[in-house]
Amino acid sequence: MVIGIITAMKKTNPSFLNGVPELLVLRLLARQEMYGYQIVEEIRTRTGEALAFGEGCIYPYLHYLEAEKQVSSRRQEVEGRNRNYYKLTPRGRKRLEALTTEWNRVTTGVSRLMEGQHA
Amino acid sequence: MPDFIEALRRRLVELGCPLKQVRRLIREVGDHREDLKQAAVAEGLSGADVEARANASLGDPLLLAEELMTALRRSSWWGRHSVVTFCLLPLLVYPILWALLLLLQLALGFALGYGWNWKKLLVVVDNPVAFSHLTTVYQFMDYAAIALVTLLFCWLARRAMVKLTWMVVSCAICSVCAMIWWGRIEPHSFFMGFSLNSHLHMPWFRGVIPLLVAGAVYVCQRRSSQRFREKVAD
Repeated sequence: MVIGIITAMKKTNPSFLNGVPELLVLRLLARQEMYGYQIVEEIRTRTGEALAFGEGCIYPYLHYLEAEKQVSSRRQEVEGRNRNYYKLTPRGRKRLEALTTEWNRVTTGVSRLMEGQHA
Repeated sequence: MPDFIEALRRRLVELGCPLKQVRRLIREVGDHREDLKQAAVAEGLSGADVEARANASLGDPLLLAEELMTALRRSSWWGRHSVVTFCLLPLLVYPILWALLLLLQLALGFALGYGWNWKKLLVVVDNPVAFSHLTTVYQFMDYAAIALVTLLFCWLARRAMVKLTWMVVSCAICSVCAMIWWGRIEPHSFFMGFSLNSHLHMPWFRGVIPLLVAGAVYVCQRRSSQRFREKVAD
């Protein structure tokens, strides 16, 4: 469960690992409007099950992002099913850009160090 | 309504989740459960197996409620920094709000035609009747400040969805603050600060105000939760 993993990681390096769930959710929503179950499934399948939100735990997180005005939601009926669909706001897009830049910077640095160790 | 969802709803209410949030979470977790069931059907399961798969994926509803509440608490600064918010902040906020209310009192004087003219205000303090009115207004402002600070922290505790203990702690700190804080106006002089020897009239009453406010808030919350449970049961 990402939330659980992140809690454990907070103690060691909060600067970039804390933003991972936020980065993943915003990245997915940048492509299209999605609902909770869809987001959980996408994260699970697209990370090869390396990362996963606890079923149901995505919702407080989405509500937090909505309160931060990074995403907006609407209730919509699709094929007879009512669901809350979330989409990225301009503010969320800016946040995604900032997180992506930070993530790339960190992963590049870590990769360089790892490559150096293997060499 | 499935038992799973009902158990989740009850536990969320018990844990002090705001009712608006409970409704929204229940609706979305309910939708999620339906999606899990559809996925199970697509995999070829049927009947009780579908329900069992959906419930197994979501886990124990009581644990899920705890996880949801933890995630909700972590989503606010107040929830993440409970010690700072509910133990230290009352010590800071109370004097600030008290000073703001004092400014309001001065503004009231301005509105009543005394202006910001210090000489005009001196006329008031030299007049025993007018000064008596001034001290009454001051007393009211003082009690209002204590009640408002307590209400603010009760509201924050509710908003941050922290445990009841934090609300009680912040109210106890507000109560102690109210008893040891002293501000006094006298003709031509004015005192303010923290002291164990407050020289205040009825300092115990100031200490009781936060406890009364906290008690009233608690009763209101209980009634609200009770009404919600009854509404759901209907």
